[in-house]
Order: sequence, then C-alpha cells, then structure tokens
Amino acid sequence: MKKKMELLFFLLPVIVLVALFVYGFIGWSFYTSQTDWKVIGETGKYVGFENYKILFSRDRTFKKALFNTLKLSAIFIGCTIPLGLILAILLDLDIVAKKAFRIVFLLPLSFSFVASASMWFWMFSPEIGVINSFLKLLGLGFLEQPWITSGDQSVFCIAVAYIWQFSGFATLVYYAGISGVSEDIREAARIDGATRFQEYWRIVIPMQKPATLTVLVILLMYSLKVFDLVWLMTGGGPGKSSEVLSTFMYKTTFSRNFFGRGAAIGIIMFIVSLIIILPFFIRRGESDYE
Amino acid sequence: MNNRIGRNGKWLTKTIIYLVLFIAVFFYVFPIYSAVNTSLKTNEELKYGPVRVVKDITLANYSSSFEKIRRPMLNTIIFTVFATAISSILGAMSGFAFSKMSFKFSNIILLFVVLGFYIAPQSILIPLVRFMGNTGLYDTYAGLILTHTAYGVPITTLLFKNYFDTIPDQLMESARIDGCSNIGSFFRIALPLALPGFAVVAIFQFTNIWNEYLYGLTLTNGVESIPLTVAIANLKGTTVAAWNMQMAGLLISILPVLMMYLLFMELIVKGLLMGSVKG
Repeated sequence: MKKKMELLFFLLPVIVLVALFVYGFIGWSFYTSQTDWKVIGETGKYVGFENYKILFSRDRTFKKALFNTLKLSAIFIGCTIPLGLILAILLDLDIVAKKAFRIVFLLPLSFSFVASASMWFWMFSPEIGVINSFLKLLGLGFLEQPWITSGDQSVFCIAVAYIWQFSGFATLVYYAGISGVSEDIREAARIDGATRFQEYWRIVIPMQKPATLTVLVILLMYSLKVFDLVWLMTGGGPGKSSEVLSTFMYKTTFSRNFFGRGAAIGIIMFIVSLIIILPFFIRRGESDYE
Repeated sequence: MNNRIGRNGKWLTKTIIYLVLFIAVFFYVFPIYSAVNTSLKTNEELKYGPVRVVKDITLANYSSSFEKIRRPMLNTIIFTVFATAISSILGAMSGFAFSKMSFKFSNIILLFVVLGFYIAPQSILIPLVRFMGNTGLYDTYAGLILTHTAYGVPITTLLFKNYFDTIPDQLMESARIDGCSNIGSFFRIALPLALPGFAVVAIFQFTNIWNEYLYGLTLTNGVESIPLTVAIANLKGTTVAAWNMQMAGLLISILPVLMMYLLFMELIVKGLLMGSVKG
C-alpha cells in the first residue's frame, strides 16, 4: 500500500501529462480528422475517412509534399551519414587540435533552426546572397544559381542547411561508436599487418552498425517533422516545389482552416513516425531480454 | 626506395586528411563568419555586398535589433527556465521509479512515456491549440511552460532512468534498511548522486526549449508572450534586406546556447548521446 502511494508520487505527474498531451491529443486529432471541421468555434460533422480519401486520391499537393519529404530525407541522410562517419574517423586519427575541430563540427548544433534558416536564406539568396557574391568574387560568376528562387533547387538548398545544422550529431554518435571499439581488437589487426586504412575499413566501420541505426532513426525522425527550416527558407515554394508534410499540414490547418484535413495529415505523420522508430524499440526490447 | 614511397604516401595521406578537415571547417564556419562580418557593417557598407570584410565596425545593429527582440528574449528566458526546471524534476522522479522500483508493466509504461518524445508535433498540434484556447492558456507563459513540460518529460524520464541505472542499487537498499522510504531515499541519496545527471538533462532541455519554434508560433500571439525564435523569424519579414540587423539579431538569439555549448561541451555531448544511443 505504502509502495503504491510512493509510486503514485513518483509517476503520476509524468503519466498524467503524457496520457493527456500525447495520447489524449492523438486520439482527439484522430477524431478531428474524421470531421469536416472548417469554422473556428464549431466542430464540424462526422465524415469518416473522407479526409484521408481526399488526401490520397485527389490532393496533388499532398502527394507533392509526401514526395518532397522523401526527397529531402534522401539528400539529407544520404550526405549526413557519410559526412558524419568520415569526420568521426578523422577525429579518431592522430591529428593536431583535435578538440578545436570537434568544437567547430558541433557548433551548428547550438543554432536554433530559426537562426540557421535565416542565415541560409541569406546565403542562398540569388541577388545579394553570400554564395553568389562569393562565386563572383572568385571569378566563377558563371556558376551563379537561382538557388531558393528556383523550383529545381529549393529542396536542395534546404537540405544543405539541414546538413550544416545537424551533421555534427552524426559525427558525435559515430565518434562515440568508434571510441567504443576495443583497443585490443584494433591492436590485434595491426599486429596481423593491417594498414591503418584496412583497420578502419575492415574492423572499425563494420562495427558501426548500431551507431548507424541510431543516426538513421534520429535523422529520419527529424526529416519527417522538419518545419522551421522549410517554413522560413522557402515557405514551401517557389510554387509547391519544396512543400513538405509539416508545412502542408500547417497551411492546411492555420491558413485555410481545414482543421479536419490538417488533423488527418497530422495522423498520417504520426503513423509514419511510428514506423520509423519501430526498429529502435525492437532493438531495445531485444537488449532487455539478453 | 620502398621506404621513400612509404614516406611520400604518408605525407600524401596527411595532406588529404587535413584538406578534408579544412574543407569541413570552411563549410561549418563560413556561414557563421559571414553573419558576424555583416552584422558589424553600417548600412553604407552593406551596399558593397556580403563578402567584403567589414572596415568600419559598428555595434549599432546589435543595439537596434536588441531593442526589437528584448521582450521576446525575456519571454523565452522566463518560460524556458521554468519548463526546464519542472520537466527535469518530474523526469528525475519518474526516472527514479523506472530505474529503482520494480512494479508491474514498468517496461511497457516506460515505452509509452518515451514514445512521446518521438511523435511529430503536427500529430497533436490542433488539439493542443484548441486545449490552450479552451483553458485560457493561449498566449500565456503558463501555456508555454505546460506545453514544453508535457513534451519534455518523456525524454527527461528516459535520460534520468538511464542515469539512475548507473548508480548501484545497493546504495538505495542500504538506505531502505536504515528505515528510509523510497521517497526518503530519493531525496537523500539518489538526487544528490544524480546532480551531474541533472546538469546534463537541464542543459539538454534548456537548449531544446530555447530553440523551439512551432509551439511558440501556434500558441502565442502578442509581443508580451512570443518567444525569441518567433521574433527572430519576424525580424526577417519586417527588416527586408537589412541583413546587418537580421544577422545581429540572430547572433544575439543564439548567444546563450552557444555559450553553454562552449562551456559545457562534455555535458551536452553526454546528453545528446544518452538521449539517442540508449533510446
């Protein structure tokens, strides 16, 4: 009895908060997604899965947003994982000023997405932007690009900002993973005549599978819910060229007041996030039974 | 002969290594350098483009943009400090229970709590806004504190659970034998031992909440309560082409977290790793 009271004391606040703000609200979102609620102050009437049907069958912007979310994730993750691994390996080698390099690589992590969005918006502006001005200065004016004002390049520009902002995280996880490889194994490889390159390629890198899973899941999570960067760099434009699920959800809900439809997009994003983190929890479950 | 090739090869490898490192440094530092450079320029100098190194250094942009973001910065400081403190304390309590007390379904309950960290905010956004409107918490500090606390406790719980796992059970056992209740041993033994963990969790939470944008954007309206991130985003709209002021403003906004990064790098690294690797 006493233990029960104690448990309540320790757990009740957290459980109440999570139960209401996470699960209660997801349930509420799911309910809202089955209504045609459009007017502030009202609640709309029940329409079943109509909103989902419309999204998947008729709504071309939704498909575009889905595609762009995937495209952004692919560029972002495809660059961040190799970059993080390479920088982590370089930090593991005997280099001078190791600490200084590490600080520099982690520096962008301290920026808010809002700050990096404003900065990269300016970097990628066509007329007065930093990158084009820099190219001109180097006599490479012919390489100037329209960057964020071009439908073909907008997602790429956002991806670069995202890589800048977040690759330090991948470096960090890989660095920890590499430091975790036992010195004995590496020593043994060296005694067997492995070169430094073989030591990494054959021993250290193959042992980074858990680190890669961690990085992959977290990066996928972040590329699903990315909002600030897209919203403030391109607003989803030009046209719909960089519309992603999160910006589309925001516009549908708060600009067009299609609350039911917006909730449906939110629920779809919830389901995607469940799929993304599944391997995480499976691994967690496995290690519990070891 | 062989030896010389080896030495040349080594020299070449070294060159490549440092070349890659410096390209990476350039990639990470160049935007920040450009922002600082431009933030120090007068409007006159701004006309010569963003690349030219500043000649006539001025701090006027910092003072004028600070004027515009002063209140939002105060707002952010207030709700961030409260939400960080509350979510850390609640996380310490539940983390302790999950780590040191055994009860039915504890693993499953923990899983449900932690899952809250991974959901996309869009999936709860509409009810959240509606809830804040209905309870009169829309556009208030209390609303933001409650929101950041509620969505913060899943990760603080996990971080503290992992931290308490590293403290041996025997310490709690001996306290219990001495007649301490669980609550007593939490406050007298676990909490003091968890102080380093507290620092990690608090810094992790502080930086997350300080930098958050979407909840601030949807839950606040007036200058009396908008967070700094929203004000910085607005700066972009109201000071078109005044890059010097915009950059000064955003540099001011990141300064507190930047200082934390430089001062507590090891703690931040620990927090990031604990929040993900063991997730």
